[in-house]
Amino acid sequence: MRLGLGAKFTLTVLFILAGTTAANTLYDLNASARFHEQQLIERGRALGRLISLVSPEAILGYDFLQLNDYTREVCAQPDVVYGVITSPEGVALSSYIDGSDPLIKKQLDRTGSRDMLKLLQNLDGQDGLISLQFPITHDGKLLGHFLVGLSRQALQSEFRRQLMIKIQVLTAVVLFLSVAIYAVFRFNVLHPIQRLIAASRNVGRGQHAIVEVKSSDELGLLARAFNTMAEGIREEQAKLHRQANFDTLTGLPNRLMAFDRIDKEISRAKRSGERFAVLFIDLDDFKSVNDSLGHAIGDRLLVGIGARVQAVMRDADTVARLAGDEFLVLASDVVSEAQVEKVAERLLQAVAEPQELDGRKVVAHCSIGIALYPDNGDNAETLVANADNAMYQAKTTQQQGTATFFTEEMNTRLRNRVQMEQDLRVAIELGQLTLNFQPIVDTVGGRHRGAEVLLRWNHPERGAISPAEFIPVAEADGQIVEIGDWVLEQACRYWSAWRASGIDSGFLAINISRIQFRRRFSARLAELMSIHDIPPKALELEITESVLLDDHRQVAEELSSLRAVGIKLSLDDFGTGYSSLSYLKRFRFDALKIDRSFVAGVPGDPDDVLLVKAILAMAAGFGLKVVAEGVENHDQLSFVAAQGCDLAQGYLIARPMNEDLYRGYLKNLQAGVEPQRLSATL
Amino acid sequence: MRDWNCKWLRFVHLLGLIATAAAAPVIQAAEGPLIMGVFPRFNASETTTRYTPLADYLHERLGRKIILVTSRDFQSFWQGIEERRYDIVQYNQYHYIRSAKTYQVIAHNKEFGKSTIAGVIFVRKDSGITSLAQLRGRTVLFGGGEDAMIGYIAPVYMMLQAGLKKDEFKSLFAVTPINSVIGVYHKQADAAGTGDGVIGQPAIRNAINTDELTALAVSEQLLHLPWSVKRTMPAQLRKTIQSSLVDLENSEAGKNVLKAALLTGIGKAEDKDYEPHRKMVRAVMGPR
Repeated sequence: MRLGLGAKFTLTVLFILAGTTAANTLYDLNASARFHEQQLIERGRALGRLISLVSPEAILGYDFLQLNDYTREVCAQPDVVYGVITSPEGVALSSYIDGSDPLIKKQLDRTGSRDMLKLLQNLDGQDGLISLQFPITHDGKLLGHFLVGLSRQALQSEFRRQLMIKIQVLTAVVLFLSVAIYAVFRFNVLHPIQRLIAASRNVGRGQHAIVEVKSSDELGLLARAFNTMAEGIREEQAKLHRQANFDTLTGLPNRLMAFDRIDKEISRAKRSGERFAVLFIDLDDFKSVNDSLGHAIGDRLLVGIGARVQAVMRDADTVARLAGDEFLVLASDVVSEAQVEKVAERLLQAVAEPQELDGRKVVAHCSIGIALYPDNGDNAETLVANADNAMYQAKTTQQQGTATFFTEEMNTRLRNRVQMEQDLRVAIELGQLTLNFQPIVDTVGGRHRGAEVLLRWNHPERGAISPAEFIPVAEADGQIVEIGDWVLEQACRYWSAWRASGIDSGFLAINISRIQFRRRFSARLAELMSIHDIPPKALELEITESVLLDDHRQVAEELSSLRAVGIKLSLDDFGTGYSSLSYLKRFRFDALKIDRSFVAGVPGDPDDVLLVKAILAMAAGFGLKVVAEGVENHDQLSFVAAQGCDLAQGYLIARPMNEDLYRGYLKNLQAGVEPQRLSATL
Repeated sequence: MRDWNCKWLRFVHLLGLIATAAAAPVIQAAEGPLIMGVFPRFNASETTTRYTPLADYLHERLGRKIILVTSRDFQSFWQGIEERRYDIVQYNQYHYIRSAKTYQVIAHNKEFGKSTIAGVIFVRKDSGITSLAQLRGRTVLFGGGEDAMIGYIAPVYMMLQAGLKKDEFKSLFAVTPINSVIGVYHKQADAAGTGDGVIGQPAIRNAINTDELTALAVSEQLLHLPWSVKRTMPAQLRKTIQSSLVDLENSEAGKNVLKAALLTGIGKAEDKDYEPHRKMVRAVMGPR
């Protein structure tokens, strides 16, 4: 049973009151009983002294009737149950007993004897009896004794009566006091506490509650403290609510609030039948801003973009920052996709608007994925995920800085991509990845110089999957680090094995991903070279311009480290990306590779001819060797050779080969067997 | 002549008045109160309570005021006898024998329906005493003092008759005959000298178990306590008082008076009725 505070307090008081009053009552009654017993004894003594005083004359005169009168008078006194005058020899000369007294009656019934002295002996020491004895003397001579017995029965009866009365009175007093104390306690303590409890529950339900302070005592102080606490909780809740629902950097609603707004918008749209759009905004290459300009500038850029995005939207719309460089716009009540396209266009423009930050003009671009309710989802998670997917498609399959509507096909691609990610995770373990080698030769003379290492994935169901398809997936989910490491180790192992077989394989050109480069790649390469005893000249690392977009200082350090051990570096796919000449100036490369798309057009396409010539002229200016990729016919080879290109690679020279074929290819070369080539120039 | 006769008559009347006035104190003295003395058998207040009805009765019967005089003890009472202060007196048989020269017995008490009483010697049944001779060297508790006729003189007389001498037993005295019996019961003495009516009295039956006692010897029956008047009392008054006392038991009012005095009647008595007592007194007390 659960007892309330009032019941506990009242019971405690009740027990204390009952205990103290009971103890006090018992003490009083005992003291009273002792006092009355003392009085009784004193009365007995007074009687004894009186009888002792008057008896000698009667004894000396053998006036037994007088003695009988004395004893009868004595026994007529209250509480006296017997009075006996004995001779010095103990003979009872006169005696009187109260046969109605329970003690006497009990003894008489028990013994059946009328012998007074035996009766007195049996009564001696009885708890209910006080026996007193007084000598009777005359002129110093003992004449006898006066024995008087006083019954405690009346005292005990009176004690019990007083006890019952006191118990009743004190019970009434204690009950009255308990009720009164409970009433006072209830009014002065329980009611304020109950108000505090009710207020606490309100606070627990998130309602703001203030308790009226009615007193200045401890409860008043408690109420004040509660109010202070409630105010603190309210402020803290508001703060937490803000922290939980708003982005601290931009002040925009965060992911949680955005989802909540979408949920509410869905409810509203369901009722009204309206449509709305979720636009997922992701800044393009925002990391490079952070890396190059610092996080403080990056943050200010995000704040500015958030403000501009908000500025171009209606008040009813929601602009939220989901994370990092991701923003979300909830555009309500849209009528058509064209309207949403216009909104997206405004957003792209707003984001692309240059910002002046610390004296620099910073331009950001973004990709936008768009999902429409109810077409692309009926809940917030689906809508945001589809918008995100559309944004990803915009980034990966289209040109950055565009907006793309979500389509179901995107989801199919996404599922395929996810499946590919999963398959790729086990590809190394299952031996599905292999290395191919495509020889690189001098454009003039056709001397074998080395080979580019090409990764191949032989999927058990899909067959051979192009690196162009799975490398971006591996880069996106980070598996490229493990795969790249495997490629490096395998290449080192092969090269070491060939050398052990007496085969001079030349160098191996290995493509290094931007992601690998961020993970202290040089240290790992040095470790592998040490393990397999690979000389620096045996390796050439091909990196794309994207690597150079990262933190310049880190990239420069890594490149310096690689160059320090003698590794040659070539810039891959030159001409397809930024093709910034500043990169060539800032970072020292040993070679650059002309992308096959340019080589394919020479010598027929004047633009490609001009471009290839320009690249070769520029490389000559920087003192770089040039490798022409994708050389598939003699015209191409002749052209690049004529333009001063140093090396060539392509089907004309040799198709990519697996390790067995490549080893045979190398042995044949070493044996002087000319491989089958299309080129006469070589 | 007629005036002379009148004057003579007036003179005679005057002489008559003078003579009457002169004789008045003498007449008054002849009808003065009678003093009634009662020996201190009870205490003074009880005596007053018990005998006032009798005094009132005699006052009514005699036409003379009766003054009841009590004594605090036997000595002062006897002094009153010797000084002849009492006109009417009740005392014990020994008192009468000693005062017989100045007082004349006219009646005796009847107590418990009897005119006589005998002296008795009681012993405890468990005492082993079966004869008076066995009291030799023993202690005898007598009821009253040495002048107690029934409580002392009669029992001692029997012991003397049994061959004991007064110095062959130790004499103790209880204040009343009843107490002497109670004393023996409580083994304060070997034998008790008392009257034969004592043992049946409620006072003693309430106090002790009389079945534990036995009468060792009983004297001859002796006439009960005497009522005497001064020998100088006129015979007519003496007779009137005697008849008044004897008449008490003949009326309900008289019986109430007797009952108050713990008597059942009063009978006539004359001096020769106390000869047996004199015989015992002479034997016990010696000639006086």
